[in-house]
Amino acid sequence: MAPAIKRRKIKHDNGSDESEANFLEETKDEELSSEDSEASNVSMDAPEERDDDEEASNGEPEEQDNMSEPVLRCAPATVSKTDNTAKAHKRQDVQPRDGVFTAESFKNNVFKLQVNELLDQVKLKHGKKEASAEKAMRMLKSLIEHLPSRAPASIAEAEKTLESAGVAIPFPSPRPPKDAKYKLQYERPSSINATGSYPLKTATRTDGGVVIDLVVVMPKAIFQEKDYLNFRYFYKRAYYLACLAAGIKASKEHSFKVSFDTLNGNHLQPVIVIDPSGSGFPDSSGSSCRINILPIVSEETFPGAKLLPKSNCVRPKGEDDDGPATKPLAPTPFYNSTLRSDATVTSYLKLLHAVSEKCDAFKDACILGRIWLRQRGFGSSLRKGGFGNFEWAAITALLLQPSPRPGTAPLSPGYSSYQLFKATVQFLARNDLCKKPFTLQSRDVDFPKSSGAPVFFDGPRGLNILFKMTIRSYSQLQFEAKTTVDALGDSVFDQFDSTFILRTDLLRYRYDATLGLPLSAFEFDPKSDDYNGKLGEACNKIYSTLIRALTDRVTTVTFTLPDSGAWPISTPKPPESQQKHILINFAIDPANAHRTIDYGPAAENKQEAASFRKFWGDKAELRRFKDGSILESVVWSNKDTTATILEQISLHVLGRHVDSQIAENAEFVNDSFAPLIASGRIQGQSGIASFSLAMNAFTSIEKDIRELEGLPLQIRHIRAADEQLRYASINLPLSRPASIVLQFEASARWPDDLCAIQRTKTAFLLKIAELLSAAHSGVATRVGLENPSQPSHNQAYLDITVRTGFTFRLRIYHDREATLLERQLKDKSLDVHSHESSATALALYKREFIQVLSHTQAIQNLCTRYPALSPAIRLTKKWFACHLMLPHFAPELVELLVVRTFLQPHPWPTPSCATTGFLRTLAWIARWDWRHVPLVVDFSSSMPSNSAESESYGKGTMKLEDMEQVQTRFEAWRQIDPVMNRVVLFAATNIDTSGNTWTDMGRPEKVVAARMTALAKAATTVIRAQEDHIMAAANGKETATADLPPESLFISQIRDYDLVIHISSKYSRVSKDKKSEPKYKNLEIQLIPKGSLGAETDLVPLFVEDLQNVFGDAVLWFWDPESLDRIAGLWNPLVSRQRAFKVKAGWNSAPVRSRDGEPKGMNEKSVGIHINKRAVLNDIKRLGGDLVSRIDVNRSCIGDRMYSK
Amino acid sequence: MALDKPHKSAKRKATPTTVGEFTILPLTLPKLPGLPEAYTDAKHYLYIKAHAPSNPTPSADRSLFIANVPIDASESNIRQLFAGQLGGSRVESVGFDSAIPGAPTLKRFKDDAGKRDKEGEEGAKRGKKRKRDEDVVAEGIVEDEASALPRIWSGDLQKSGGCAVVVFVDKESKRGALKAVQRVVKEGRTIEWKGGDKGVVGVERYKSHLSLRYPNPTHLLATTTAYLTQYDRVSTSRNRLLAAARAVPDEDGFITVTRGGGRTAPAARVELAEQKKAELEERKKKNGVKDDFYRFQNRERRKEEEMKLRRGFERDRKRVAEMRERRGVVRPED
Repeated sequence: MAPAIKRRKIKHDNGSDESEANFLEETKDEELSSEDSEASNVSMDAPEERDDDEEASNGEPEEQDNMSEPVLRCAPATVSKTDNTAKAHKRQDVQPRDGVFTAESFKNNVFKLQVNELLDQVKLKHGKKEASAEKAMRMLKSLIEHLPSRAPASIAEAEKTLESAGVAIPFPSPRPPKDAKYKLQYERPSSINATGSYPLKTATRTDGGVVIDLVVVMPKAIFQEKDYLNFRYFYKRAYYLACLAAGIKASKEHSFKVSFDTLNGNHLQPVIVIDPSGSGFPDSSGSSCRINILPIVSEETFPGAKLLPKSNCVRPKGEDDDGPATKPLAPTPFYNSTLRSDATVTSYLKLLHAVSEKCDAFKDACILGRIWLRQRGFGSSLRKGGFGNFEWAAITALLLQPSPRPGTAPLSPGYSSYQLFKATVQFLARNDLCKKPFTLQSRDVDFPKSSGAPVFFDGPRGLNILFKMTIRSYSQLQFEAKTTVDALGDSVFDQFDSTFILRTDLLRYRYDATLGLPLSAFEFDPKSDDYNGKLGEACNKIYSTLIRALTDRVTTVTFTLPDSGAWPISTPKPPESQQKHILINFAIDPANAHRTIDYGPAAENKQEAASFRKFWGDKAELRRFKDGSILESVVWSNKDTTATILEQISLHVLGRHVDSQIAENAEFVNDSFAPLIASGRIQGQSGIASFSLAMNAFTSIEKDIRELEGLPLQIRHIRAADEQLRYASINLPLSRPASIVLQFEASARWPDDLCAIQRTKTAFLLKIAELLSAAHSGVATRVGLENPSQPSHNQAYLDITVRTGFTFRLRIYHDREATLLERQLKDKSLDVHSHESSATALALYKREFIQVLSHTQAIQNLCTRYPALSPAIRLTKKWFACHLMLPHFAPELVELLVVRTFLQPHPWPTPSCATTGFLRTLAWIARWDWRHVPLVVDFSSSMPSNSAESESYGKGTMKLEDMEQVQTRFEAWRQIDPVMNRVVLFAATNIDTSGNTWTDMGRPEKVVAARMTALAKAATTVIRAQEDHIMAAANGKETATADLPPESLFISQIRDYDLVIHISSKYSRVSKDKKSEPKYKNLEIQLIPKGSLGAETDLVPLFVEDLQNVFGDAVLWFWDPESLDRIAGLWNPLVSRQRAFKVKAGWNSAPVRSRDGEPKGMNEKSVGIHINKRAVLNDIKRLGGDLVSRIDVNRSCIGDRMYSK
Repeated sequence: MALDKPHKSAKRKATPTTVGEFTILPLTLPKLPGLPEAYTDAKHYLYIKAHAPSNPTPSADRSLFIANVPIDASESNIRQLFAGQLGGSRVESVGFDSAIPGAPTLKRFKDDAGKRDKEGEEGAKRGKKRKRDEDVVAEGIVEDEASALPRIWSGDLQKSGGCAVVVFVDKESKRGALKAVQRVVKEGRTIEWKGGDKGVVGVERYKSHLSLRYPNPTHLLATTTAYLTQYDRVSTSRNRLLAAARAVPDEDGFITVTRGGGRTAPAARVELAEQKKAELEERKKKNGVKDDFYRFQNRERRKEEEMKLRRGFERDRKRVAEMRERRGVVRPED
């Protein structure tokens, strides 16, 4: 920056009136030079100066590149080492210096590179658009400077004059009294300046265009000493603003589109908004620059001491303004701070500029903070929480001041932008500024106790920077900050996206429940004087009531308040539409949210008991509990049919404490997708209660088998290997046999041959069956056979049906098989086919007998840890099933997709209901670029280290090296198999780094994976549209999109397929359910009566299996394994085309005379083949017989489109 | 669109009757309910020629080779086809190449594989029918009637587009059959495909499977016992063979390394040994020369670290560049 300064000085020396200064430079200039520059008036840029400035800005990137060096020098931990390496590097190669050493100051290289790219993308380019905005700004400035002064006028006169000019004075409420003694006045402003992020170059392109704040400093002369009292300043300010508006409007040269708005939604501070659509903007086409005009006062106009948070500046009516106060008056912190904020605009601009000069990374850190806030929905506006870009920048800047306060580590100017960003987030996460006000270089400043609002008091400027925040917005901010600090602490996974890229304030993803309250329910008069105050109080009341009532059931309660907008200058501010809604959002704690009893104080404790009864009203009951205690308590009903407990409580207390009308108008949305699956709502304290019957049955059968006497070998393990036994099946267990695996103690007496081992297993199973039936009369057993053409694979299983109706399918695991298979792989004397078959068998063996077991255990543990996991998995599987894709995905793979959402929840906390878990999983699938990114799940991340359980999660936590290993494997697969015929999705965990266990052999195929992504994207779009719909409705607007029921995400587009085989209702699973609801037949629990296994509904899966084996090369089959009412098929595009004759085509062909011009062999000159679709359909019908009721063919070729994707 | 048109145009142009050496025999498929209108009248095409395998087998000269057999083809309905509608030639047997579920396949030795080829397509079938305990395979045994597991499907299906070799009783029958086929094609006579045998397709197929897959335990136990007895016998002779192979040098004087010789230790002992080995390695690591003893070691390590950092950075940079290429610029979500 040095050259710029020099140049500037020279120009000052010239001392000419036209000292050329760009607006941006000007502001800096003012801070750099001392007070005297303030006196010198702002002047306009002459056009020829532009070139010069552009040069300066062109020079900037170079400077930025050099930035990594100072960062290095100051990064505390790495000083000596990195310096050495830095030097070494300079000698060898200059290129990579940027970044090699940034691992410490930037988390890691990838993170840094992404941050750089992000900054490049969002920074303003200072191109044509901006030039146009600046030009407009200069025009405005000269226009304002030439406005004539107006003589002092009484309020009535002033209103009348301006009304004739078509401007209504935007007086704040309460309106000034008609008989006010003071006069309003307009005089030329003492200076006009750009302020805010634009001149600081911290503005970004993502905020829907550039916003430039133009401050107009009102001359001190128009104010009186006591104007800070009783809104007098604000009335004068409003008049001043109205005069400006009238002046701009009346300008003949330019026509700007002018309207009023409030600054940050604060009704005390109206501002002028100049819209780009007005013709006043030079080449405004498509430009999205907006200029705000803010009238301010110079800092010394009013004494800062009078405006401290504790003082009162609004005297009660009837009392004399300066009369000695008889009793201490209630402090008016918000009023004081608003006034003070008008007086400190310039000094903050100076502060921020000074800091950005001193600390190179400050601007970038501000931009990062800006993005972070935006993605979380925070803004300076009162209704958006009152924490925006300015507050962020000011806090970072103040923390950068040397030793802000003992006990707080100051930020160092040598920090990188990332470090500054992280340190600021950490500051917010760690300090509860509501409980413990933070003050800076100020002593003896008191803060009003009652409000509880957060305080960050900047002593030198005498302002509580957070004055616009409330307790609830601060706790929300703190929560988000904590989540981000957590995310940034993750050393294994890249958290860049979750920190900066993802929008996290989407209600459907972020919160578990939403309560919509129409403003009309409060029955406030929007025209009344203190409407805003009342509404604010009501919100506070609701908040505190809900917090008290819901206790630990919720983790966060936030409010989404409707926006307020600009209004035309010719009318007074319109009253707020009562159609708008307040949205109250809840994030629940799943372990507590569904508790049916709230315990109160003991009966003896009279005072507390009375307060408890007063709070709960007739809901409070005195109850005697098992342990003998007699407590006040509240009991809630927990039936599937009724509203959720959360809803019952909220509506009850709101009705009782806020307004009895409210409960009637409220709309409560909670876990809306959960009812789609049986027992989808979390009951009691866990999400797995509905599986307990099956789990108990498993435990008891395990015991029974272990107790058998007469088995030749001891049993080592009996372990679950089935989704029904890890809380992950769509329907509650009972409908299908659940796989379990038995392992005997090692013995040398097994035959040393794969086939003989299988037969020995059969003998064991027969023995177990015999012993079990003999010992337990209620247990039915039968040995079944499988894999008839693979004698070295498992040949037999034992189906055990217990009295409760559950069936378990027992297989024997013998660890010698792996060794034998591996030996076969190495054996050179075997032929090629045998090698292939051994390799397949080994993969299958590892999956079925090793990986499934550890996976099942891991999922079991996670489901007990996270109550929402089980319903979320089941809902997600349901989605896959409804779109007929589930058979293409291993159940374990779908589970991993959902587990990822729970173990890497950032930027959100861990999901706490089925709906959020499901929707976030879909959102991730939609984003997942599986061609280039592996899915990695670290089960150990949920584990406290060195706990007893962690054994089952593999060896310790996942390290960066493990991650690298997975990445290498993934890249290797993509290299071996670039067209992805074999491995399409890659899913690794810390216990299984191979990555293809669940996805090998094209399961799913590329076309299916692409369909998954397309469907997830479509679903995500719908969710986003609904989100927009909710927000629009909250703002009182009608939208075209109707509220979509959750079911709509679960309807399959059957027309996308080439052919559809309809299964006759006798054999499909749906026919047993109620007929009235044809679309979602299988939502209810299907309790197939005992002993019905092997009934007619089990024929279709066998038929589908045959279809796959027989027509697998020609048709890709899709079906829903739960309903089995139809099977859809897509012709493989490779076979639909005509091709040369081949003996073993692998599909049913019909000969055709090929067209001329296609080169063919001598003999097959004229004959080609293509698939014989009629014969294939006929084959299918012959094969299916009565199972198939009819086959439909879709003429459209959408199927081909699915393939071509 | 283009997918469905060839049907009609091909029909109008008349279906070709030969391709290469193959004669194309259209079969009329039965009319079935539930199919779309345009699909009711369907033909299946067999491609038939005299069998001429690259490795001649004894039965090759009395066999016909059929490509694209119907999915429900079986020995009996192929036999009926030739006997009833194609000149009455008598079929001895039919071998299919892709039956579902296929016959049990065993792993074999390389030299053995050659032998099997010579035996032709019958090889696969033979296992089921003939007792061949002298046949040593790489694993298990070739099962016979007594030791084979009960079948769990009532009949095999053929993979769509599969092939079959039809062996006739003599050369004359084969020649006659081929002639008959060619005549039928020339005359354009309609040959009807009767479809699957009872129980092989349709609801029956699946119903029967549901009960067949749970065989009678007594029967199952008997086959298991038979299998293990036969296995004991075979494994003894296999071990003897292997032992011989271990001991006998080949013509160059080398002794082939083969498996066998038994397991050295029971499973439990193997585990113990592995544990011990790990322990020893751990101890060795502790007692070894420290790797930061000499200055050059430190220097080299530092250098190595630096190189690693650089490599890591280069790799990361490439990764990020690729990422940008893929998904465009990094931009916060709206």
